[in-house]
Amino acid sequence: MAPKQETATDAYLSLPLSVATKVDVGRLMRELQQIDNFLNEAAIRNPGAGAQMPKTSRLLDETVAINKLNLLHEDDRNRLIGFITHVRAKAPIMHISFSADPSPAFTQKLITRLRSDVHPLVLLQLGLQPNIGAGSVLRTTNKYFDFSLRRRLEQKGDILASILKGAMS
Amino acid sequence: MNSVQLGLILISLLSATVSFIWLAVRLSGLQGGKGKTVVDGVVDAAEKDVEHIFNEEFREELRNRGRLHFEKIIGENAMFLQQDLQLTTSQLNEYMKSEITKKLQEEFTKYEQSITDAKQMALESISKTQEAIEQQRELMGQQIVKEIETEKARLVKRFEENMADIVNHYVLAAIGDQIDLNDQLEFILSDIEANKEAIIQDLRNGA
Repeated sequence: MAPKQETATDAYLSLPLSVATKVDVGRLMRELQQIDNFLNEAAIRNPGAGAQMPKTSRLLDETVAINKLNLLHEDDRNRLIGFITHVRAKAPIMHISFSADPSPAFTQKLITRLRSDVHPLVLLQLGLQPNIGAGSVLRTTNKYFDFSLRRRLEQKGDILASILKGAMS
Repeated sequence: MNSVQLGLILISLLSATVSFIWLAVRLSGLQGGKGKTVVDGVVDAAEKDVEHIFNEEFREELRNRGRLHFEKIIGENAMFLQQDLQLTTSQLNEYMKSEITKKLQEEFTKYEQSITDAKQMALESISKTQEAIEQQRELMGQQIVKEIETEKARLVKRFEENMADIVNHYVLAAIGDQIDLNDQLEFILSDIEANKEAIIQDLRNGA
């Protein structure tokens, strides 16, 4: 059972699956602030003056879409900015390393599972450790979880040793 | 003429001389005071006769005879002395030979004994050395076996300690490029699911 969203600003907003890392959140925040600045400037600008709306990225589009927000509304923008600020400050981060670079599809499947089982706002920090062979190495705030093949082999060392001794004798 | 004959001649001459002297003395005794001249005359006559008999030729003859006899005696004695000397020399040679042989035999016996003792000592020393070498070899063999066992145990222990890394390295080298991360997703998710509570607890309690 997933814990409830611990945001004090807005309990009804959520992150899209494409926003998986803290870098994505930072990028989303910068983009959102640019749009907010632009719209605020546009409000005080003389009517009829030409201005071009900044292009939004896929991350922001998905975030706005799944939360059913309209960035032209100041309240929605403020809600989203507050939410993103809260996420960047408070969202739990899980450092997870693999033996190879994960594909976006893999990352998306993983974040889907983590946000449904662990925490709805969890963010990932992906790492690369080629020496683990297979599996993953997970590190949370205070704990370290080794799910690698090397760890499995160490745990099953007795079996492997007995097999090798049997083969040598 | 041998010595016996010469002796007889000398004895006869001496006896004639003595008898003549005795006769002259008797005659002088019969004549009294006047007889002294007679005696003197007899003595003179006797001396003359003696001088006549023992003249230089006769004396030379006697010297020659004596010289020859002396040479004969010297020759005979020299021969005896030579024979005796030869005999003594022969005996001395035999004695020296026997003594030297005896001494040499004794020395050879001592030498053989010394050689035998030295040989025995050398054999004992070699035997002890071989025994020590054998003991050393056995001890060294035991030490080597012990070292090998220790090294083997150390290698096995080290291998067991690093076995996971070794096998992991082998797996990576053998099939590392064939391990797809997407294929591992279910296993990764199952591991996370198995430790979900601990992860959630740590995320909640984390700073």
